[in-house]
Amino acid sequence: MCMRCLELSRRSLLIGGGAVAAATATGTAQARVRPADMVPLIGPGYKAVDVDERGMWQQMDRVEEEVAGSNLLIKDPKLSNYLRDLIGAVGGPAAKDMRIYLARVPDFNAMMFPTGFALIFSGLLLRMRNEAQLAGVIAHESGHFLRKHQLRAWRDMKRKSDLFAIGSLALAGAGAAGGFYTGDIGQLAELGTIMSLLQYSRAMEAEADALGAKLVAQQGYPAAEMANTWRQLIGEEEASARYRRKRRHRDISLFGTHPSPESRLADLNIDAAEVTVPGRAYDARRARYMQAIGPIRPMLLDDQVKLNDPGASQYLIETLARDGWDGPLRFYEAEVWRLRNRPGDQQRAAQGYATAVGYPDAPADAWRWHGLQLMKQGRAAEARSALAHYLKMKPDAPDAPFVRQMIGA
Amino acid sequence: MRRLSIALALGLSVSLTACVQTRQYADLEFAPPQGDYRLLVMRPDVQVSSLTTGGMQEARADWTEQARTNIISALRAQQAERGGKVQVLARRNELRGVSEEQVADLERLHQAVGSSIALHKYMGAYLPTKRRKGLEYTLGEDAVALGRKTGFDYALFMHAEDNIASTGRIALQVIGTAGCLIGICAPSGGSNEFAYASLVDLRTGEVVWFNVVQTGSQLPGVKFGDIRNPQGAATMVERLVGRMKPGRIARQRMEKR
Repeated sequence: MCMRCLELSRRSLLIGGGAVAAATATGTAQARVRPADMVPLIGPGYKAVDVDERGMWQQMDRVEEEVAGSNLLIKDPKLSNYLRDLIGAVGGPAAKDMRIYLARVPDFNAMMFPTGFALIFSGLLLRMRNEAQLAGVIAHESGHFLRKHQLRAWRDMKRKSDLFAIGSLALAGAGAAGGFYTGDIGQLAELGTIMSLLQYSRAMEAEADALGAKLVAQQGYPAAEMANTWRQLIGEEEASARYRRKRRHRDISLFGTHPSPESRLADLNIDAAEVTVPGRAYDARRARYMQAIGPIRPMLLDDQVKLNDPGASQYLIETLARDGWDGPLRFYEAEVWRLRNRPGDQQRAAQGYATAVGYPDAPADAWRWHGLQLMKQGRAAEARSALAHYLKMKPDAPDAPFVRQMIGA
Repeated sequence: MRRLSIALALGLSVSLTACVQTRQYADLEFAPPQGDYRLLVMRPDVQVSSLTTGGMQEARADWTEQARTNIISALRAQQAERGGKVQVLARRNELRGVSEEQVADLERLHQAVGSSIALHKYMGAYLPTKRRKGLEYTLGEDAVALGRKTGFDYALFMHAEDNIASTGRIALQVIGTAGCLIGICAPSGGSNEFAYASLVDLRTGEVVWFNVVQTGSQLPGVKFGDIRNPQGAATMVERLVGRMKPGRIARQRMEKR
């Protein structure tokens, strides 16, 4: 099927789409898409060709205008440059044409629009443990653009709705029903029908995975990190569901909705093995990543903890801590306990703050909460010294006068 | 605006067979602008799509451009007749002394207010406290500030879309309608138009007038205008903003005189 896709003709794409539809409908197991077969369908400077594609691009210009002008965007110039360079590295032939926007939404999501601009949520940056994981997600999204998935998905949907209409002589209405989870970003643009373009089929997700693995490996990242990202997400969702006594279920565009996580994880592992060249050195570039997101990391952690999803937050913090505990992680671990407020959580939180302030990079708020907990326990002298430390770190804190009065300074 | 339009379209299309519907609301004190007034038309949101056999809207870039040009020139001609001076924004950065962000903010604010009007005036979620009160919505200080800075009296926000039935869709309609002869009626919607306009008084910030136009037909080949050509666009503009009715109190006052 995919060899046919390479012919790039409209007809073959439609046939391909039909094959996908048929396979989905009958539940036939699909052959794994091999990274070696995944060739980008577009080159540098690509512009819309066909009538339907041109219409799509015109609509997308308006969407991009809304996204680019949104006040949800994090516009830190250093971070923006970093992300641009990253998509410039793993974006394949269209690397220089793609744009990337970072929105402050504490959720795990990333999406690629048909004209080649990507939107990633800040919650994604928090969850990535190194640059390789982020590069994997971005390369996967680039894969959707490079393989013209939005256009192919649209044509597939159109074809299916045509067949359905002819078959039943009824309105398909598929266009209007864009039931698609977008977090707060739904406010951004006139998405409606448009968002349904980003619901890819299982085969397309597999293609994007395979092409993504190839692209990251070419840039010297260990492709196995893509599988790790996936594993982390499954773990987090299970932890979140367990806390709420529910079963894991969530729609995330990045990872599609249909493919079974297990088979996808297995495929990604094989992909990683295939694209890895023996003898070549691969580097996940963790230090560089931590440096890039360093300035906004406390904000990312804070946003996550305030989601009131202790199952997910705790799993996430523990996952990040596999690369080593630090002050912020310890502090926010304690915050999860304090906000969760189950029996024993206040003691746990108090111990957590005490641990956090032992790290040289403990945030000012860790000292504040440590001080307040000590005060509660009646250890006034220690509390005063902790709170004094807090004031020294954050003399302009909103509650500084109050704290000053409390410690009699 | 797309979401708003879909919601409105769904609300209005329930018992639609072949008709042109308009329904307008006005502030009780609203008197249609006459004589020497200055009108700012916010970037018109125009979309022309091809209606696929399955009923999906496939955007068409060339048709949309054509329709946008037609709608704008029809609007200019129509307002000139009333005596108004009109500026039509094509981009957000065309107003002197007003930043792109401020224009964008006002557009988004109107998007929210317009959705509210759609919900409570057109889609059945009527508010008991707003009965017989005409249109009671405002864009507030931001709109007043824009008016003060630019000297415009009114701002017009508008959206127009036209969905043109493809050959396949028409064939489907023919079969569906022909079925009626043997007792199996399965009519499906063909070409349709949908538009709304919202007039904001920039001296008070209030939305003083709102109108929705919907045309559609389940009869194959029947179409009430086509904004891809100048006549069709003029018809649409006339239906949309040509017959502004004054608000109830303003009308009563006029009748007394």
